[in-house]
Amino acid sequence: MSPRKSLNDRLATWKISGGFKQTAADILERGGRNKMVLIGFAVIAVVVALALLAPVLPIGSPTEINADPALAERPPAWNHWFGTDERGRDIFSRVLWGARVSLSVGTLAVFFSMMIGVVLGLTAGYFGGKVDYFISGVIDLFWTFPAFLLALAFAAALGPSLSNVILAISISYWAGFARLIRGQALTVRERQFVEASRALGAKNRRIMFTHVLPNCLAPLIVWASIGVADAITIESSLSFLGVGTQPPTPSWGYMLQRGISYLEEAPWIATFPGVAMLFTILGFNLLGDGLRDVLDPRMKGLRR
Amino acid sequence: MADLVSYVVRKIMLAIPVILVATLIVFLLIYLTGDPIASMAPPHADPAEMQQLRVKYGFDKPFYEQYGIFLWQMMHGDLGISVGRNTKNLQVGDLLVQKLPRTLELMAIGLTISYSIGIPLGIFSALRQNSIADRSVMVFTLVAYAMPSFWLGILLMMLFVVRLGWLPAEGTIGGFASIILPAMTLGIGNAALTTRMMRSSMLEVIRQDYITQLRSRGLPEREIIFRHALKNAILPVITVIGLDIGWFVAGAVVVETVFSWPGIGMLMTNAISNADFPLVRGCILILAIFVILGNLMADIFYAYVDPRVRLG
Repeated sequence: MSPRKSLNDRLATWKISGGFKQTAADILERGGRNKMVLIGFAVIAVVVALALLAPVLPIGSPTEINADPALAERPPAWNHWFGTDERGRDIFSRVLWGARVSLSVGTLAVFFSMMIGVVLGLTAGYFGGKVDYFISGVIDLFWTFPAFLLALAFAAALGPSLSNVILAISISYWAGFARLIRGQALTVRERQFVEASRALGAKNRRIMFTHVLPNCLAPLIVWASIGVADAITIESSLSFLGVGTQPPTPSWGYMLQRGISYLEEAPWIATFPGVAMLFTILGFNLLGDGLRDVLDPRMKGLRR
Repeated sequence: MADLVSYVVRKIMLAIPVILVATLIVFLLIYLTGDPIASMAPPHADPAEMQQLRVKYGFDKPFYEQYGIFLWQMMHGDLGISVGRNTKNLQVGDLLVQKLPRTLELMAIGLTISYSIGIPLGIFSALRQNSIADRSVMVFTLVAYAMPSFWLGILLMMLFVVRLGWLPAEGTIGGFASIILPAMTLGIGNAALTTRMMRSSMLEVIRQDYITQLRSRGLPEREIIFRHALKNAILPVITVIGLDIGWFVAGAVVVETVFSWPGIGMLMTNAISNADFPLVRGCILILAIFVILGNLMADIFYAYVDPRVRLG
């Protein structure tokens, strides 16, 4: 290792506020003392555990249709905790399998939109000037429109399928990440360690990803947690409208849409998927809000 | 005042390219995704017939020409012809004009509900900071915010329609009574945001020196809050009304579908399931213009109440 390179590496770990290790330590230390973080984390842990265990739990198939009409629209009982739906399927099983869909769509969509947002935001904030002017215009345009509306438009055009839902949410939701990173990059690039690194001959890309990006980690994590909640809301809304996850894949939004027709004779069909959804979204919102208070109280104005 | 006028003109000029880009995106959405003729043509149409349709609707022309025609027609109020089952051959523009008042009605009542819950609740909560009442209000806002609007609508329906039988379930059959549930659904979600904003804004104001000074002069607390603090605290809440419109536009699409409310949202959902792309395009466009105007309104209103903005 050349001395120049090793010095640059040392600069990368010498951070004012961020860095991967520092952020992780902050979350563990201060997050452990914050009630919102703890409750949110506990709720998410339960949902994730149940979703992972769905295939091995003795709960029956989520998709197998029961031809016997006597088994359809049964109220909650010991053998069917949440009752059965209009086709005799076990709702508890469908809710757990639906959690797998919601969680994977939520995390994947947030991951992809974070990628788009980080690359565009970092480029705009770091280079400034004309590059920034152009990219900021695009960011503002996407930021102006509610992500749900954009996702609905994209999903309608792309056609309904699970991967299209993820794609539609990803290309609708990234503007928040981009704004965040751009703002952070604008201030970080003026810091002395960036200047020092440049003086040592580091390339732009290296400075961007090893010096600027690690300083944006804290807000990124906060936004990602809230983003998963938003993405789950958007996915279920799309599925509710019929442009999201398609049957037979169990999805909370679609289950609720079917349930509307049975509000009188079988209200549980439209109840339990909603409860599961509320808990999951609440969990991610609590975690995000709590982490925001813990990591950076100045971010309070970030989200109304 | 002159600076305000120039600020408004500048903002309006900036909104025009945004609307243009929105029309381009809306146009691209349909242009890039498959053959619109496939969904319009009768089943089992042979290639010659398809080609005939393509020429008839201008889909054989190059991209820029199609976009140019689309823009030109749009500026003349022509948004194309619906190809859906129930609305076949009707003008998209006519359909939108027909449904628009319903959506506006719903949004106006929803907005009223949202502010009449959120503002008093936020003030109440701020004045009793950290009490049990304040904590309960905060829990309410967390839950109301996390609750997807369509599920809230379903729950309200279960309670007021199925259990209590007080209100009609859907559509406009029940006259004014039928707007209550959809408007409440829209309003409650947004009320959570309004409450939080009102609370934090009020908390900020009552800590300021001039409030302490009023207290030390012995003014009654009620007068301090409602005559002096509220004026300043309510500004940030009112200025986001334009941004709330974006939230309401998105919410309306879902809520209208839940309650079969015959507005733009319902029209759009039906158009999507019928693969009626000209109508989908029209709906998206009108909703997008709504959002842009909402943002414009927010900017102008903000500049009106806070002169620092327009000078910056």
